[in-house]
Amino acid sequence: MGRIGASSTPVAPPRSFASGVRVGLVLGGLALAAAPGIRRAGRSWRNRIAVEGGSMSPALLDGEWLLVDPDAFRDRGPREGELVLVADPRRPDRLLVKRVAAIAADGLLDLRGDAPEASTDSRDFGPVPPSQVLGRPWARYWPPRRIGRVR
Amino acid sequence: MLRQRLVAALAPRRVAHAHCDVPCGVYDPAPAQIAARTVSRMVELLNGITGMELEDRNKMVRCTAVKEQHAELVKREVQVIWSDYFKPEHLEKYPELHDLSWRVLKQASKCKQSVDAEATAELERLVGRFAEIFWASKGAPAHLMTPSAEGAPKNVISWEVRAS
Repeated sequence: MGRIGASSTPVAPPRSFASGVRVGLVLGGLALAAAPGIRRAGRSWRNRIAVEGGSMSPALLDGEWLLVDPDAFRDRGPREGELVLVADPRRPDRLLVKRVAAIAADGLLDLRGDAPEASTDSRDFGPVPPSQVLGRPWARYWPPRRIGRVR
Repeated sequence: MLRQRLVAALAPRRVAHAHCDVPCGVYDPAPAQIAARTVSRMVELLNGITGMELEDRNKMVRCTAVKEQHAELVKREVQVIWSDYFKPEHLEKYPELHDLSWRVLKQASKCKQSVDAEATAELERLVGRFAEIFWASKGAPAHLMTPSAEGAPKNVISWEVRAS
């Protein structure tokens, strides 16, 4: 233990070129793997929504804040059981969050609230074309206790 | 200050609705229960009239009119909850619902036609059961929907009925 520089032994051996490449590859791989997630978080951040009402209880509660991926259904359609953000068929300026209960043969989505006795859904406004789906709510960022994925 | 700005930055941009169109919680069977109780009370008062003086006849007409109105009120209140509040999921859970509602409406008519304490007691009992199912469907605590010894549901605060 002397002053820095007093010892002649180096603290770490000098890195070889090969190990530098290896570190670079690992970091690069991590960045590549994380990139879609980061991109999704970025585009979802622009589509954050507040849940109002209890029809999706207990999965989503009144007042919770969610991130919605607008590109989730760009390459595929919604699947049964998935959450969807849709324009209200009766008032397109209104947003609804519901769950896909079933998909009809013609591709129309049968939407339901998780709490059907307190939900206005496809039973009232009929099945909804997939074109009405605006995105998939996939994460909750408020309240802090319930931060995480939603499904 | 900082907190407000933070909230403003984090707050969602849109609201996504997840509810029924009808604001939840605006239905309540209490008016039906009070009306049914009023019908019972009017029958009590009518049965207490002995004389045929003008005063007695005045009271008789008034009590009969109130009985008629409140029996109609029972029908109206129960019918609205039955048709507007209850959904198929409730019916699945409480299969007696349709028959019960039907019997409430019929019993209310019977109370109009008669001056029969037994008929009005039955009306109160049926409306009480209807209220029980309503509260159960809302997941209300049991103490709110257990009828007391007199058959008066406890969620109705006052049973004072003014006959004046």
